[in-house]
Amino acid sequence: MEVQLQLSVRRAAAASRSCQSSTSLLSPRIPSRQQIRHQATSSRHKRALRVPPHPSFITSESTPKTDHIIFNPPSSEPSIFSTPFKFLPKNDPRRRANLPALFSSLAPAPTTNKLPPLLPFLPTPEQPKVHHLKPEDITEMRRLRAEDPVTNSVIALSNKFGCSKTFVMMCCHAPKEHQEKHRERLAGVRERWGPTRTKAREDRVRRKDMLLRGEL
Amino acid sequence: MKRIRLERWSSQLLAARPGASPRAAPGAATPLCSPSYRQTPKELCLSRRRCQSTFAQPSDPIAEDEFLQSEPVDPAETVDPTENMSRFPPLDPTTAASARYPSPLPERALKSAKLAALHARLSLSEKIPLQTLARALVDSTADKNRQFNNTNLAFLGHTLINYHVSEYLMVRYPRLPMSIMYSAVAAYAGPDALHTLARQWGIETAAVPGGEVDPGLLQFATDKAPMVPTTFGSRRAEADYLDKFKWRRGINSRVVFDDDFGDVVQAAAPQDDAAARSADNNTALKPYGTPETRKIAETAHANAVRAVVGAVYAHCGREAVKAFVRSHVLSRQLDLSRLFAFKMPTRELSNLCAREEFEKPVARLLSETGRRSRTPVFVVGIYSGKDKLGEGAGPNLDAARWKAAMNALKAWYLYSPGEDVRVPSDMLVEDARPWEPAHIDIGEVI
Amino acid sequence: MTVVALKQISTARNGVGAFILQCKKMDFHYCDWAGSSKGMNGFIKSVLPRFAAAHPQIEFQVSPRPSKHPVIIGHYINGKKKTICVRNMEPLQVLKKAELLREASGEKLKRTTKPVTSSNPSVRGIWSPFHGEGLKV
Repeated sequence: MEVQLQLSVRRAAAASRSCQSSTSLLSPRIPSRQQIRHQATSSRHKRALRVPPHPSFITSESTPKTDHIIFNPPSSEPSIFSTPFKFLPKNDPRRRANLPALFSSLAPAPTTNKLPPLLPFLPTPEQPKVHHLKPEDITEMRRLRAEDPVTNSVIALSNKFGCSKTFVMMCCHAPKEHQEKHRERLAGVRERWGPTRTKAREDRVRRKDMLLRGEL
Repeated sequence: MKRIRLERWSSQLLAARPGASPRAAPGAATPLCSPSYRQTPKELCLSRRRCQSTFAQPSDPIAEDEFLQSEPVDPAETVDPTENMSRFPPLDPTTAASARYPSPLPERALKSAKLAALHARLSLSEKIPLQTLARALVDSTADKNRQFNNTNLAFLGHTLINYHVSEYLMVRYPRLPMSIMYSAVAAYAGPDALHTLARQWGIETAAVPGGEVDPGLLQFATDKAPMVPTTFGSRRAEADYLDKFKWRRGINSRVVFDDDFGDVVQAAAPQDDAAARSADNNTALKPYGTPETRKIAETAHANAVRAVVGAVYAHCGREAVKAFVRSHVLSRQLDLSRLFAFKMPTRELSNLCAREEFEKPVARLLSETGRRSRTPVFVVGIYSGKDKLGEGAGPNLDAARWKAAMNALKAWYLYSPGEDVRVPSDMLVEDARPWEPAHIDIGEVI
Repeated sequence: MTVVALKQISTARNGVGAFILQCKKMDFHYCDWAGSSKGMNGFIKSVLPRFAAAHPQIEFQVSPRPSKHPVIIGHYINGKKKTICVRNMEPLQVLKKAELLREASGEKLKRTTKPVTSSNPSVRGIWSPFHGEGLKV
């Protein structure tokens, strides 16, 4: 009995020792943070990244069997170095080479050739610019503005004559005193601006200059 | 690298070298080059002087200062020929003779390693002698004599470079407005561009010009007004007041009066003025880097490049100089679309369409995103009829419209018949194909 | 006059029209006495004449530097210089180092991560989400 007990104790000790050795062997592996991507995710990602070729590259029954040009225009802003067709001079060989395209655009399918919408603030074909004011109207406008620039303000005149404010300002000038007063008032308003608003206004001017210089 | 201790080994080497090795010619420093351009060294002369000053007064810095400030001296006079005859090899007699003159003697060009290296680096023809190349490196501020400085060659080179550049630009971009044309010619062939070209050729400068310096160094003095070659244009009567009153110079008057780059022709500075400036302080040793000296240095570099081009023409002829200008000047990169700035692009575009009898240009919104967000993007195209003339993207509708109009105008102005257009000077070759007229535009939009 | 011209300077593209070798000068320093210069001395005697003749665009300068290891110094057009110590090398190894200096551009060594470096704009432009047909994925 004692012998058996001793044996069992030895076995347990050996087992515990072997356990220790095995844990000591395993322990350096546990803290390693290296991520290993296993098959379960990698194939899924690969499948997601597998993009089919562009339709223009796929050959079908309709594609010609001989050498042909694949038209796959870049998805980027057009370069200014490729001159628009309209800007080519009359004797340019590119004009001749492009004749079929020109004819196809002359007799197009109406659905494909729909032009994009006009900008909202510009005159549309439905609401074209109207030049309804006569020279007499303009002299009248000038007279009113010179008479009483306060009541006949630019907005009031534009409403009265049905034209834009820019047009009113193009037609008539306010008297010198009124301009002076207006400028003083504006300067007062500008003085009340804080640093943030001042900087924002300055930046706006600078941004426009940069835009016109082609830096934006 | 530690400082070379001359006093320890100079005697041993300076005396012993000649026989030691066939390659190592006498001297502490022995330049080698291809057999056709064997030289001796200006370094020899310099190192030798340095030795002497250290030997004479090892702890006296004044001796060296005096040497720097004094006029170019004749080494033959300062060096006693009997002294240390065995220790130092004799000086090159041409170097000694050259020190009397403001620029190096032409025969010394054959012995300059730097000059031969520059000749080979530019792949110049064997027909161009080293003496001519050496003369191209002597600026008019260094040597007044026109027979020894590069004034004439620079004048020739200036006309040739400007001719080839403007001819190329006119045929390649026939619709460029005149102001852009001036700017483009200056970007290729202006003084700034040629100055950078000279630097990229590896032209080194001498600290102070003189007859004893290496002929392979660019020589110019910073105390004299530089010569700017003016082949075209004349001085305006009101030239002095242009800057003062900010008078406008219209493009027509610029074409008639101003120089090849559309800049005002300045009067040559009077000589006595320059002399007075040099007299009041020692300007010869003025630190390199003040705006005036930098301008003078840039002009000298540009003139050296022009003179090399002039030398190519003088010795090799028309075709060689054309190829030289094409490969060195016109091969440089310039984005012409970055030369344009506009004031009212939309109005100019509608003027253009009216002149060319196109339909009125209208702006159309191609696509947009984030209209109500902090960073919206609008893509606007400008259409004339059904044809799109240009498009641009911007953070608001106005900016996008202006940009689209600017792009349309740039596309008009930057029309090019092709990359390999023939230029008029191609017809000067014998058995050239018959000339097909180049496209000539009616002019810019006003 | 609504078009205003801006000022630009064209940029060099070495090798497009003309090619300028960027190494403009090479200094060879040797020592007559020290053993580390043995290979360098052999190089100067036997290889350098041919090397110099093959490269006329480089200025060569040979000068002693006693009690020091032999070095080759390359001077470049951009104003920088590169130094290689060639102690205890055979003449042909020295030649390799000289060729290394000859071919260098003088720029600091940089890691290139892109297969192509170009100053030209891309042929198909910069991709924009607003253009092209788009692709359903």
